[in-house]
Amino acid sequence: MVVLKEEETLSLAEAAVNFAVKKGADEAEVFIYQGLTTAVAIERGQIAKSSRIIDQGLGVRAIVNSAAGFAYTNVLGDKGAIEETALKALKSAKASKPDNEWKGLPPKKPFQHVKNTFDKSVLKLSADDLVKIASTMLEAAEKTDKRVFPIEGGVGASYLSRAVANSNGVLGFDSGTVIECSLATIAREKGEVTPVCFEFNVERSYKVDPEWVGKEAARLAVSALKAKRIETKNMKVVLAHFALQQLLYYTLMNAVKADYVQRNQSAFQGKIGEKVASETVTIYDDGLLDGGLHTWKFDGEGVPQQKTLIIDKGVLRGFIYDNYTARKEGKESTGNASRAGYLSTPNVEPTNFHFIPGKKSPEELIGEIDEGLLVYSLQGAHSSNPASGEFSVVASPSWKIENGEIAHAARGVMLAGNVFQVIKNVSALANNERKIGPLVAPWILVENVKVIGK
Amino acid sequence: MIILISLPAEINPSNFVPWGINLKDILAKVVDTATQKFGAEYAEIRAQKLFKTMLTLKEERVEAAKEGIENGAALRVLVDGAWGFASVGTFNLETLTSALSDACKMAKAANSKLKTPIKLAKGKAFEDKVLAKPRKNPSQISIEDKIATTSAMAKTILSYDRRVKSCTIDYLDLVGTNHFMNNEGTYIEQDKLYVWSRITATAKEAEILTFSREEIGSTAGYEVFDIETPEIVGAKVAERAIDQLKAKTPKGGKFKAVLGPNVVGVFVHEAFGHLAEADLTLSGSVLMDKFGKKIASDIVTLYDDGTVEGAFGSFKYDDEGVPAQKTLLVKDGVVVGLMHNRETASKFNAQPTGNARAEDFRVEPIIRMRNTFMEPKDYSFEELVEDIKFGYYFKSFRGGQANLDGTFQVGIQEAYEIVKGEVGEPVRNASISGNTLETLRKVDAVGKDFELSPGRCGKGQTAFVCDGGPHIRVKEVIVGGSA
Repeated sequence: MVVLKEEETLSLAEAAVNFAVKKGADEAEVFIYQGLTTAVAIERGQIAKSSRIIDQGLGVRAIVNSAAGFAYTNVLGDKGAIEETALKALKSAKASKPDNEWKGLPPKKPFQHVKNTFDKSVLKLSADDLVKIASTMLEAAEKTDKRVFPIEGGVGASYLSRAVANSNGVLGFDSGTVIECSLATIAREKGEVTPVCFEFNVERSYKVDPEWVGKEAARLAVSALKAKRIETKNMKVVLAHFALQQLLYYTLMNAVKADYVQRNQSAFQGKIGEKVASETVTIYDDGLLDGGLHTWKFDGEGVPQQKTLIIDKGVLRGFIYDNYTARKEGKESTGNASRAGYLSTPNVEPTNFHFIPGKKSPEELIGEIDEGLLVYSLQGAHSSNPASGEFSVVASPSWKIENGEIAHAARGVMLAGNVFQVIKNVSALANNERKIGPLVAPWILVENVKVIGK
Repeated sequence: MIILISLPAEINPSNFVPWGINLKDILAKVVDTATQKFGAEYAEIRAQKLFKTMLTLKEERVEAAKEGIENGAALRVLVDGAWGFASVGTFNLETLTSALSDACKMAKAANSKLKTPIKLAKGKAFEDKVLAKPRKNPSQISIEDKIATTSAMAKTILSYDRRVKSCTIDYLDLVGTNHFMNNEGTYIEQDKLYVWSRITATAKEAEILTFSREEIGSTAGYEVFDIETPEIVGAKVAERAIDQLKAKTPKGGKFKAVLGPNVVGVFVHEAFGHLAEADLTLSGSVLMDKFGKKIASDIVTLYDDGTVEGAFGSFKYDDEGVPAQKTLLVKDGVVVGLMHNRETASKFNAQPTGNARAEDFRVEPIIRMRNTFMEPKDYSFEELVEDIKFGYYFKSFRGGQANLDGTFQVGIQEAYEIVKGEVGEPVRNASISGNTLETLRKVDAVGKDFELSPGRCGKGQTAFVCDGGPHIRVKEVIVGGSA
């Protein structure tokens, strides 16, 4: 396996920084990313595909006269190629215009300790082990019900590492592991096809339960059969994890980014200290969350990650910053500079966007609803108005709740509204917190959502 | 505009780069080793050298001008009916051989649980060299010029109206060469050339925030900015953001609608196209038992065409070495074709259609659309609108998504009311949804105009595509109103 060790990675990064400075950069920063993924894929009911992907590269950010230039390469074995990359970054910086708001790369600060982000046993998994995990999941789904067809899914184990160095003396290396298994299913009966139903586990440590994923993906698909149309009216809606993540990703998560706030693109601009959500809602951006999918010692520009209060019992308390947006306001970065591997400059992104869960079990939450809708997934959340938060999406799969119980699957249902109104109308959160992409949250109950049916 | 010209290799020796010659030998060795040493029944390798330039402008500030090099190879083998895949960022023979050994081991691990071995439709062998022939090669345009073009867009947008509050402009150009070889005698060197830009603006008045987006995409060359000039595109984006400030929100419910080419495109792509990707058809999409059957009204004819010159979804050979073609999917309302790779073509006893595409060397080819569109007929725009007492004109989309059960959703960024046969006031944040097959049956008039729009499609990987068609009228769609 082509894995660069910590010492090699750090010395490569430092050398490139020094070279850029020697060649005329006022400041320079190098980010090195490595990813190794072994995966097996399920397609149409069988495991017929397997892959191993090695991706590594280095990106250089050079500052000349308050203008930034960036270049990257995935040719790491060749000193010449790395130097050429540094020179390109310099050239790009010189081609750009000076930015009056540029106040320098981040200073050196001690990194934080993180827990449960690396697990050797994930690295030890062979292709055969992954095939075993995948077939456990597949068999569990198939055993559950004959009407279920597992359309796709898989198991993947990854090793990821990141290193950063800059001309202010920042120097860091961190590595971690991720394992995931997922299964998408449909159920078919008498000409009816259900929407795609999806279940998954993703963890930093080897703690996945493929049998549960398989069973649950199958159970969902079967329960999505015999779907009926429902009346158009305002009602209570329970957003399950995936639906909540889809809805918030393009709206609320953008609204708390300092970059959006400073550029007049956020509905939260000027609202710090104001009530923006229901009292049941408390959100942290927690870059240090135990075992979090986005937990690292430092962010994409070498700033220590931290836990930042965003909304406290409904009151807006803070935004997330990278170094550039923080300095613009005379503040400190919150460690939210994110990188797309070695291919990009830093961008403000949430780490683990954590909704503090409530006390009720999902059953209790449903049990208190006379009439409502349970929504597992949304279609078209990416077409929400990212600035205003207005959305109009298909809820699929979804289930009608009547008298405290799931009555039947619903089809052709749309939800319309505004995300910023939705968070004001949250009346309860369940206790079933899960990690999904950047979101860590339980099911949430929202009052008075416009549901468009028949 | 001529973009992809194919010349036999020996006619044009000046285009050989030294690493190209060595590379061909290396690829041949790897493919031979796959079949002879590791017992692969099929082996292919894709070696790519890609150069990218990217810019992000936030208002008039260039966030960072970015340039990058990506070298890498993708190896795919079929061993006893199961796929193995490996990707590495180098062309070094030793590393490639070790990646090949990985890929074969991976395939053997996978086939331990195989129920139905994978077979490939017969492929023809091609030897070809496909050169990009841009009038303006993006790699010859200086970074200063690219900054000037995008800055001019930003200037146009920000000076359009004081209520425009921000704009973000992303620019990407990608040039490079793809070397494809398989063990059946195909060897293709094919240039890649893409120029793309996404331009967004927000406007604000009182508590109303609006958002507008346009995309530019071409495989022709940097000359795309001669037609889509910064001034034209900038004004279009800014105007839409401003117009929406005074727009009303739509009523929810079922309405008659006229869809513009841009919305027809995303509907054809999302609502129908994905269901006709043979891998998704086999996965149980609602088209599974509809082949040869009528699913749409008589006036609906749909194509997926990889051969439209300069279009964002065009190429000469796909990533399995199969020539791109114009594929008829629906003829006069009847499903007559699906989009195939070699694996699904074998399952359906059909010919591969050249739809196997991989975003880059990090991923394997999967079935993707190219340029997908509805064929125009004979209605003028006025004729489409004149009989509608009340309905909506959906002109431009924000995003769309489909499900295998045939439910689609398309979010709309520009819409108008139609009142008494005329286009009326603007409407904001509408979306339409419905069941694809029901909606295709409700298409009751098809216009005579035609337009393709570039876009990007996500299916695990990103593919550059176009979609479009004429204006059409639909008897009924579900309009999701705002709360």
